[in-house]
Amino acid sequence: MEAARGIARLEAATGTRFARIAAARSLTERRLGERRERFGAVDVDAGATVVLMGSWGRREVTSESDDDFMVLFEGPLRENAQPAIDRVADVLGARAPGREEIFGTQVWLEDLRGKIGRDEDTNTNLTRRMLFVLESVPVCGEEAYLRARRALLAGYLEANVKHHRPPRFLLNDVIRYWRTIAVDFESKMRARKGEGWGLRNAKLRLSRKALFAGGLLPVFECYRYPTGDMLDYLDERMSVAPLDRIADAFVDHEALDAGVRALTAYDEFLAILDDGEQRGKLKELGAEGARDSPTFTRVAELGKEFEAGLLSLLFDDPELRRWVREYIVF
Amino acid sequence: MGATVSDTILNGPSALAGHHPVGVSTGIFEDLRGSWQELVAEACKVSTYAIELSALSEDELPGLVAYLAAEPRLPFRYVSVHAPVKDRNLDEAAGARVLSELPLWVRSIVTHPDALEEPARYRGLGTRLVLENMDDRKRTGRTAGELELVFDELPEAGFCLDVAHASSIDPTMHLAEELLDHFRSRLRQVHVSSLRGHHHVPLTADDEERFARILKRCRDVPWILEARPPDWWLAELKATRLIAVDEAAIA
Repeated sequence: MEAARGIARLEAATGTRFARIAAARSLTERRLGERRERFGAVDVDAGATVVLMGSWGRREVTSESDDDFMVLFEGPLRENAQPAIDRVADVLGARAPGREEIFGTQVWLEDLRGKIGRDEDTNTNLTRRMLFVLESVPVCGEEAYLRARRALLAGYLEANVKHHRPPRFLLNDVIRYWRTIAVDFESKMRARKGEGWGLRNAKLRLSRKALFAGGLLPVFECYRYPTGDMLDYLDERMSVAPLDRIADAFVDHEALDAGVRALTAYDEFLAILDDGEQRGKLKELGAEGARDSPTFTRVAELGKEFEAGLLSLLFDDPELRRWVREYIVF
Repeated sequence: MGATVSDTILNGPSALAGHHPVGVSTGIFEDLRGSWQELVAEACKVSTYAIELSALSEDELPGLVAYLAAEPRLPFRYVSVHAPVKDRNLDEAAGARVLSELPLWVRSIVTHPDALEEPARYRGLGTRLVLENMDDRKRTGRTAGELELVFDELPEAGFCLDVAHASSIDPTMHLAEELLDHFRSRLRQVHVSSLRGHHHVPLTADDEERFARILKRCRDVPWILEARPPDWWLAELKATRLIAVDEAAIA
């Protein structure tokens, strides 16, 4: 029997049950299965993959989740690459692409892999690359998906990696992405005059933080490996959901109590996201009303509790603390 | 305290003193009782991370409610209120209503299980209500089984582990371990002190060593000191307090 990992491992170690996380995973698997079945009738080029991002990649689909997708192609840019966006959107029944057009588009692996840093690595390119590596799941073209993820990780590891040390190039890009999310939150709110502030702020406090921590922790954990083993390790870690990577880190570092509290907070957050009324309140909420909103106040508290567990893991564990100190500021 | 060189390298000179989420109960500043602005200023001198505003006697509550209603600019990331547990005249419904009107940014309202005659009346406080384990003088609220009965009535309530109370019942600290095992997902804060004749006094070196195993399981939650910090913690605590706080800054 395969050993439990991630959330299941933390549950087994502590006798805790994260019911909302389990429910969201179950819904994710069911809906993913439905979508995969529909793609059986779609022409997909060899070397193409359709991936779902965001809550799909985190295995946290709730009743209100969007079908944020992108179609990724290996090989050079070409005309008439299949599947076409309209066809994918039609099969998924997806909403129109977001305003920033990160999703709902054809993307080329060479852009994600070859354009890291400097002007050619646009905000959109960075976002697509990070979401693909950190929180995505294939709905078709799984082999191409696995090759692409491994190729992206391998690209980061070509840059002067040392035995038993976190790979700095990847670490810097993960941290850069998190800071970009945080800065862009303010920028988007200014551009949209605060529209959608409450829900976006809630996601920043929990979902986005889980995405970041789920990337940061495996990169730090590379200190356990010689360079030759890091790619396999990172590839395996990125094959599971960010919450599983986080839960494993809590168990590996024997921080079970903090892990339970952090994931309990996240569990309740998913319940709020899945509750149409509470989610609606967050969606309508502006910054000016946050202090008087019981729903937002609760989410903010859950965000603090989730963060407190992660900070304790990073700063109170003697091993991790060493790497955080050496790598996270400079 | 028996610390080895490797302990010191791995955990720092005093791992517990270096705990970041720390604060004090205003109850330790007995002379300033009722002067909330001054109490908060004193608390800031220990830490600006967390505070427990202590209204143990019911006659302290109206003043605290008025102070909080004026929306003072507090620097803390975590604010709790210790609800009245003595000299109570309000009936339970009225008491619960007053507590429910505390500002939403008061994260926790700590109370004693034995002070709740009808726990269900407090259900409206939801996740803000926090139950504290009791010491050996009390007849209930001491053990996991006794607390479980109250949590059954208040399923959303959090838990405050009072390490000194647990130690008064079981100096080996197995009871504290058991409380954490049962209520780890509910744990919101920890009360830290030693007891002398059932009075909270600064943590002694012996107790710090005895409590260390427990406190290390609570690294992610605020520790509320229920007595002045031990002298050997003062240097570490400098890092969590403002360089200078005057009362005007928190009015």
